[in-house]
Amino acid sequence: VLALLSLTSLVFLLFQLCYYKFYLSHKNGAAFSKVRGSQSGQDSTRWHVVRKFLGLISSHNIPVYLIDPLILGLVDKDIEQIRSSPDGPSPECKYFCAPRDFTTFALLDKTWKHEGGLFRTAEKMGFQWLKIINKDPRLDGMDDLSGMEIPLHYIFKLASHAIHLVVFYERSGNFLWHGPLRLKQHMDRKFVPFRKLHFGRYPGAYEKPELLLVSIDDLKVQIPKNPSSFLEEMSHSRFLECRYREARAFFQLYPDDASLDAVEFRKKAKSLLHLAALTLNNLGVKFWLSSGTCLGWYRQCNVIPHSKDVDLGIFIRDYKADIIPAFQKAGLPLKHKFGKVQDSLELSFQGEDDVKLDIFFFYEEDDHIWNGGTQAKSGKKFKYLFPKFTLCWTEFVELKVHVPCETLQYVEANYGPEWKVPVKTWDWKSSPFNVQDNGVWPIDEWDNVIQIY
Amino acid sequence: MDEWKPNPAAKPHKKRSWYLAWKYKLMNQRALRKLGSTGAVLFLLVTVIVNIKLILDTRRAAYEEEEESAQDYDDEMLNVEVPRHPVNNKKVLDVEVYSSRSKVYVAVDGTTVLEDEAREQGRGIHVIVLNQATGHVMAKRVFDTYSPHEDEAMVLFLNMVARGRILIFTIKDEGSFHLKETAKNVLKSLGSQVAPFLSWRDMWTFVGKKGGEVYGEKHAKSPALSTWGDPVLLKTEVHLTSVEDAECHWPDTELNRRRKRFCSKVEGYGSVCSCKDPTPIEFNPEPLKDNKVFDVPVAVIAGNRPNYLYRMLRSLLSAQGVNPQMITVFIDGYYEEPMDVVELFGLSGIQHTPISIKNARVSQHYKASLTATFNLFPDAKFAVVLEEDLDISVDFFSFLSQSIHLLEEDESLYCISAWNDQGYEHTAEDPSLLYRVETMPGLGWVLRKSLYKDELEPKWPTPEKAISPPQLWDWDMWMRMPEQRKGRECIIPDISRSYHFGIVGLNMNGYFHEAYFKKHKFNTVPNVQLKNVESLRKDNYETEIHRLLGEAEVLDHSKNPCEDSFVPDTEGRVYVMFIRMEQEADFTTWTQLAKCLHIWDLDVRGNHKGLWRLFRKKNHFLVVGVPASPYSSKKPSSVTPIFMEPPAKEEGAVAVPAVAAAEQT
Repeated sequence: VLALLSLTSLVFLLFQLCYYKFYLSHKNGAAFSKVRGSQSGQDSTRWHVVRKFLGLISSHNIPVYLIDPLILGLVDKDIEQIRSSPDGPSPECKYFCAPRDFTTFALLDKTWKHEGGLFRTAEKMGFQWLKIINKDPRLDGMDDLSGMEIPLHYIFKLASHAIHLVVFYERSGNFLWHGPLRLKQHMDRKFVPFRKLHFGRYPGAYEKPELLLVSIDDLKVQIPKNPSSFLEEMSHSRFLECRYREARAFFQLYPDDASLDAVEFRKKAKSLLHLAALTLNNLGVKFWLSSGTCLGWYRQCNVIPHSKDVDLGIFIRDYKADIIPAFQKAGLPLKHKFGKVQDSLELSFQGEDDVKLDIFFFYEEDDHIWNGGTQAKSGKKFKYLFPKFTLCWTEFVELKVHVPCETLQYVEANYGPEWKVPVKTWDWKSSPFNVQDNGVWPIDEWDNVIQIY
Repeated sequence: MDEWKPNPAAKPHKKRSWYLAWKYKLMNQRALRKLGSTGAVLFLLVTVIVNIKLILDTRRAAYEEEEESAQDYDDEMLNVEVPRHPVNNKKVLDVEVYSSRSKVYVAVDGTTVLEDEAREQGRGIHVIVLNQATGHVMAKRVFDTYSPHEDEAMVLFLNMVARGRILIFTIKDEGSFHLKETAKNVLKSLGSQVAPFLSWRDMWTFVGKKGGEVYGEKHAKSPALSTWGDPVLLKTEVHLTSVEDAECHWPDTELNRRRKRFCSKVEGYGSVCSCKDPTPIEFNPEPLKDNKVFDVPVAVIAGNRPNYLYRMLRSLLSAQGVNPQMITVFIDGYYEEPMDVVELFGLSGIQHTPISIKNARVSQHYKASLTATFNLFPDAKFAVVLEEDLDISVDFFSFLSQSIHLLEEDESLYCISAWNDQGYEHTAEDPSLLYRVETMPGLGWVLRKSLYKDELEPKWPTPEKAISPPQLWDWDMWMRMPEQRKGRECIIPDISRSYHFGIVGLNMNGYFHEAYFKKHKFNTVPNVQLKNVESLRKDNYETEIHRLLGEAEVLDHSKNPCEDSFVPDTEGRVYVMFIRMEQEADFTTWTQLAKCLHIWDLDVRGNHKGLWRLFRKKNHFLVVGVPASPYSSKKPSSVTPIFMEPPAKEEGAVAVPAVAAAEQT
């Protein structure tokens, strides 16, 4: 009996083992077989697929460029050599054979004359393809416009490799945008392992890249001239679309101020913001829309006409002493400077006709971020607390600018749960939801921390 | 994985029952053994349970993972795509057609495809074209054959319909008064037996296949002049053919696939859907050398006049230097057929769901279209704005390419327009000549982005404002207001580069078009080299005018300026006349002169500092308003400016020009 029992147990044990083995190999099947088996075969498959794809698109005169982070990373290590010998034959397949599931290319929408026979040729060459289309965000901000949906992503699959083609569009604000990859219901969810794609989880914003034609692994491709800066850009390229629908609902409740004053203020605020963005970008200082300007973007996708200034935020770690002279050079004299780099720094510049540019510096703590305020006549200090946030790109008044990705928390921290209701009388010392008293500057420091011009 | 899935459940069951049997058998054996076996059974059971649980767990984990893998990328909006028309495998259509004095309707398979019981509307013969394979409505028209010339339009339309289509006719109110022999014969050739004898206030319905069988006809004679025939209701069946039979067999190319899609949906576009010899839908006009407007977006503003849009796009795509990728058609409303036309030509189209009424809606449509254009082409400094009822000259883009730098460099310019308000057959002569004018003609024009973004867009009349004085908020009237124009001028050609063919627009009626647009001159010469473009700059233009006036011969002011003999029978000379114009806004004499010259007189157009330039008898003809115009100094002291008074009219007549002027689009 015991023998029988142990036999059964053994059977189960074996069974268990078998199962685990099966399960594991199923789960990582592709990876295992690649490692164990025909490595060179798999590698050259990737190279062949890329070559075929490049042949396909060049036969249709479609200018694509390589944006694959993996390959660009490898290319970046040898960039000098690649640049100097654009035509040299390569001894080994170093880049396009690297193990990966996808190769990612980019396509500028305006540089090609839509698909035509592309897909038919692709099919003839053995590619399976998938096209992801969606609404055109450039029309999203507009009342009641419905355009044709635009292609955002293409995936071409051949054998075990796939090409991900990301379509970039030019947006107002002189930047490139790519859309998120969202599958519609009828689409094949297992066409490729979508999770492993490098582009498409979020929409992204990029500068227009300078391109370089290079020959790598005997294939001629265009790559961004500076791969490392492209990769750096990619790492924080996430883009947030303005909430146009909610903005429209807001204007239904509170009709927009179309008075001449409002029009004039918006025009001035816009040009001030453009000037500020230009100045700070030239210095390489990262900034974001803060306070009222951020609220305007989030709530109504526009400048709030009854706000009297433009507000920007900058992390104190990005502070540069050049900021003040740069603005003065740009024609914006310093109006006041409160606080110091170590504590509660705030700069204010005088724009055209009373429109003021306020720059608040933000200090990062372990669990929150804050900026400070100072009352000139009393020397009182204030502190405004925010939950931690990261930065995203957005488009605002024809400008590519940063906003906190976690905008709702940011706005709610600053303006409270009633942020949707316009408030015309605002006191920066008492109105903000997140204001705290922060003591008084010592009198002997006043000359330094309260400077009014 | 599935193959062995049932086993784990089956095995232990079997084993357990075995063991139970053993257990009973060995009841009498030693306690130790008993204990041992019980323990073993328990152990086994535990193993089994653990195993099953394990299997279930891993399976679930695996399943979840698969589920998850694509979740992030799911579209949040569950885009359930329901086919618009249920698949119809039926071979027979039930058709019901009703004709009466005050109501007509047509129902196909129980679905009403036409219903018109509005009073004072829809009189005449209603025609519906169905696809013979699918039964879909391809065209719906009404021809008011009670009025003249409508029967000709109907004949034209019926001739354009492809053979094999199903045609449905029904009369509302009256459809015979101006139904001439030709039209009756066409109806007869379609198989109608009644048509040749249709008379005053008869009711009539007819269903037939073009070039084929007749499915039914019903007729009710009007018993007397003062009464109508009894209502008639025709119920009949139509046999559908196969899709292959209903389609043409064009070679399979990208273009023909677009053509096929179009031709299976709509009718009434003539040879574009001809099986034998279809007219091209791609034109490949010669490219322009050094085309400065290749990257300038073109916004085509359209409503629901797909036939106009078709004609317009054909001429636009045939113009030299056109760049189809830059064209966007903005359709005011959610209309399908204009979109079909846009897709036929492979262009992109955007529909705009209307939010307000009449002119204010047009105005909002313009704003949305212009904003969208600059959003879609953020790099553009300009946009070309066209309307669906314009023919575009073959050298339209060449004209713009040669002049656009002026708009970029000369701050005193408001626009470049392809239209000369005063450029009629008898008043325009020189295709290479340009003018500066203080009015904004529209009808094919170029808008500077900075003007739009910085000035117009923020102040654009809103629908709320548009309600009170409606005419005032018509977008083009608004753009002409001094607050917007701020003294800036537009550049126009002597001979227009666009032609306004629209009749059935919001603001148009047949008479109006006949009087003011039909005889407009339209350039058909390709590659016209414009003359002296630099002289159009602000200061250069003054020099140019002074030169012209210096050279001009003063006409005999004792003659009647309306008479042909006022201008000598010469060619290529420059003449000047002086009219009375007390101050800048005094156009009394000008308006009378414009009237008798048969040019635009509904409001003042084409002036530049009290000077008008046109042609008479192939001579350049200048009109200077004295003393308001700064050019008055050129008037010889012996000449008395001509004064013309408006003819004395009843009070109401005075208001007419003002209203009509506002109506011009």
